[in-house]
Parts: sequence; structure tokens; C-alpha cells
Amino acid sequence: MVGLSVGEKHFIQGGIAQDLRSDGRKRLTYRPIYVETGVIPQAHGSARVRLGATDVIASVKAELGKPSALQSDKGKIAIYVDCSPTAAPVFEGRGGEELSTELSIALQRCLLGGKSGAGAGIDPSSLVVVEGKVCWDLYIDGLVISSDGNLLDALAAAIKAALSNTGIPKVDLAAETTGDEQPEVNISDEEFLQFDTSGIPVIVTLTRVGRHYIVDATSEEESQMSSAVSISVNRKGHICGLTKRGGAGLDPSIILDMISVAKHVSEQLTIKLDSEIAAAEASEEES
Amino acid sequence: MEYVSPEGLRLDGRRPMEMRQLRAEIGTVAKADGSAVFEMGNTKVIAAVYGPREVQNRSQQISDQALVRCEYSMANFSTGDRLRKPKGDRRSTEISLVIRQTMEACILTHLMPRSQIDIFVQVLQADGGTRSACINAATLALADAGIPMRDIVTSCSAGYLNSAPLLDLNYIEDSAGGPDVTVAILPKLDKVTLLQMDAKLPVDIFENVMGLAIEGCKAVSNYIKEVLLGNTKQLEYRRGL
Repeated sequence: MVGLSVGEKHFIQGGIAQDLRSDGRKRLTYRPIYVETGVIPQAHGSARVRLGATDVIASVKAELGKPSALQSDKGKIAIYVDCSPTAAPVFEGRGGEELSTELSIALQRCLLGGKSGAGAGIDPSSLVVVEGKVCWDLYIDGLVISSDGNLLDALAAAIKAALSNTGIPKVDLAAETTGDEQPEVNISDEEFLQFDTSGIPVIVTLTRVGRHYIVDATSEEESQMSSAVSISVNRKGHICGLTKRGGAGLDPSIILDMISVAKHVSEQLTIKLDSEIAAAEASEEES
Repeated sequence: MEYVSPEGLRLDGRRPMEMRQLRAEIGTVAKADGSAVFEMGNTKVIAAVYGPREVQNRSQQISDQALVRCEYSMANFSTGDRLRKPKGDRRSTEISLVIRQTMEACILTHLMPRSQIDIFVQVLQADGGTRSACINAATLALADAGIPMRDIVTSCSAGYLNSAPLLDLNYIEDSAGGPDVTVAILPKLDKVTLLQMDAKLPVDIFENVMGLAIEGCKAVSNYIKEVLLGNTKQLEYRRGL
């Protein structure tokens, strides 16, 4: 995708080996992160996150639905990612589908926990209105507008910001129903319920280039990677999900080393992201 | 349903001849050669232009002019209810074609033979008039990419409801079933490059409605010129000229 000359490749690899990357960062420094909330007024919650030249939007829409028979006490949450052709001409037509699916699955794995919903960032049982009858279905849509590497971390941050921006309308039951009837509900348009977003993890992707690994790789650096590990870590420092990409094998001891580094980096990222989200929400209220 | 109140106000509080608020921003996609965001009220679109560059598919190469391509896509969250299958349906194929033909008419394609220009428009929010907003965004993005053009193209729609011509329909007015006339013009050359209408309308009223849409296009063109001038001044300032 990225056309680089031999000299440029050497320059990137050499810079990483000396802990001074092409844009002046150290190996474990993130690019500045900018958060903007409420960008899509039609959605229940939305956020735009910019990480250098990477630019993503996440939106949350809630619809009333029926819980599945197997898990009658839980609402449904789904994450879909779409890569807009504005980000790169290769995403034209169906070209972005493979990457979109890869990102959607990785995000689902990292943020939503297992099939039973255990270990999810958002508690699915908080979405239930009437057990077995009515629940909220949460659709989280990510859109990549501009891509300069590290899409997964940016999307996870955007989803976290969008969810803390989300207000779900309060639902009242209209009348008592018995048996198998579908109960009638009133959707309030004044009262909104907020989510507890403190449990949503952040994703830290460590990209291995040469003998070292870096965080927040740009697309030039990603083109030189041998493999990458995405680790999602929550506020308590627990690991919520893990994905390895790229062909080259990794020594198990290195993976353990990467996890401890990711844990350390995630602390700073969580603090930074929290303050950015708070600032974005404050500026949204002002305007 | 009443779309224009007896006091002469529309559902969103506008006068019949009033446009929604316009907002534009240039250079929003860092990696593209040219890009812009264009908003008409709640309708919001992003356009990105890549090129002129080498033709990717050799069989499509044209030896005496540039190949212009366009893709229109809608985000899942752009409409009131969530879209399920956004890619490649007939409506978006048609809009892609319309945008491509309109933009091709103003690009000086003969100056860039054997090359390709890609225009991608992405709808972030749809509230009526996406076609017009996309054309306006594409114009700004092409100008930002520095692609030679005859003139800027601007577009606006107008309709006719409750026996009153209305400028710049929003989604509720658009889905009311009345006629919707979309016009794109080259303001300096004073030529119409795109004209579409659905539903029926008497000829004399059509003339009025089309005149109104053209006035709308001119208002958009004044705004676009202002934005481009502001952007150029900023570039000049940054270069220290």
C-alpha cells in the first residue's frame, strides 16, 4: 500500500532502533489525541477521534428489540466498522470489506468479552427493559475517514468516547401485560440514562519492527512491521482481550514482556483519554 | 399535512425562499490530495479527491483526457433508522454517476491525459439534499486538490408544496411526495449542468421552481467563493507572503 524506497525503509528501521522515530517520537509515545463528542446529532451518542492523520467517527444507536431466547436477561450489542473510500482509494467498492471485518471482529473481541457477555466493557444486563420481552439493542458503528495507521486503538478510543456521550431514553411500561403478549412501552424524550463507561478498556497495539516494538505506528511504520499484538486493558490493569496480527512468529517470553509494557502504556492513555473526553463534553455543553 | 403555515413559515421555521445554514471546511482528510466537509443544515458530507495520478486499471486509460471516477457512500448512522446494507445499491450507483458527470463537465480533463482523478463522497448525515451537498463538497475538494476547472459547480434543490415554491428541501419536505428539482450550475458561465425532477408540475410553475433553485445555486456559489478565498488567504499567510 505504501510505496517506500530502500533508503526510507532503512531510515524508519534505524530510527526505531535508536528510539527516535521519523516524527520525533520515542518508541512508546502516542501521537496527540483529539476527541470531539456529539458530532452526529441524529445518533444517541457519537464521537470523533483524531490521532495524527488518522481520523475516525463512532456512533451509538439504540433500538428496542427482543432479547434472544438463550439470554433473556441481556441486551444485544454489536460493533460494525466501515472503511470509507475517502481514507484510501483501495477501500473503493468492496475493497475495504476485509479490513472492516478484521477491525469489527477485533473490537468485538476486545470490548465485548465472551459470548455470554462476561467481561464486557458495558454490562449487557443493564440494557434490559422487561426480562425476556424488551431490551435495547445497541448498534455501535465506526467509520474510518482518514487512515494513517493504528486504526484499532483510535476506533476503541472513539467507541469509548461515544459511549460516554450516549444517552438512552428512559422507558416506562404503559400497561401491565400478561402471558406472551408483547408489552407496550412509552419512550421518554426528556429523561436519558447514561452508561457507566469506566469499565470500557482501551486498546494498545504494539507493532514489532525489526528487534523492537513501538506503539501508535503510522502507516509507513506499519508497512515495515513483522507482527503486531493488540492488547485491551481496563482501568484496573486487567487484560480484556488480545489479538495478534501479522505472519511472523513471536517468542512467548516477548509476548509476556509486551503485555507488561502495554499495561504500563495503557495507564497513561486512559488518563489522557479521560481528560480529553471530559474536555470535549464540557465544550459541547457550552456551545 | 401543512408544510407552510399561514404565517408563511416552514416546519423548521424557515421562510419559503430561505436556505439552511451552510458551513464548509477545507482540508479535513490529511492523506487525500484535496478534501472538504460541506454542511447544509443537518446534511453533512465529506468529499476527498485523489489525483491526478496514474491510471490503476490500464484498460480504462483514455489517451487524450483524464479519467474521472466517483463513488458515493452513506455511513450506517447517516439516516434516522440505521442502514443495514449501505454499499453498492442502485440509488448510490445513480448518485455516483450524476456526481461524476457533473464534475467531469467542469474539470479541464484534456490537460491531464492518461491520468485518473478519484472523487469519493461520504455522507455522514442525511437530511435531504444529499445530492446537492455532495456536488458542493466535491467542488471544494477538487479546488483544494488544485485540479484545473472551467468554473466551480454549485448545486441546490427546490420543491413545490402547499402551492408555494420552497428552496432547499429537508428530509421531511423531500419525502412529502411533492416535486423535487435538483439543479447544478456553472455560475460564471451561467450554464446548467445538472437538472433532475421527480413528480409532475405545470410548466409555468416549473419555471418558477427552477428559477428559485438557480438563485439558490448562486447563493451557494457566493459562499463557496468566500470559503475558497479565506482558505487561500490563510495559505498565503502561512507561507509568509
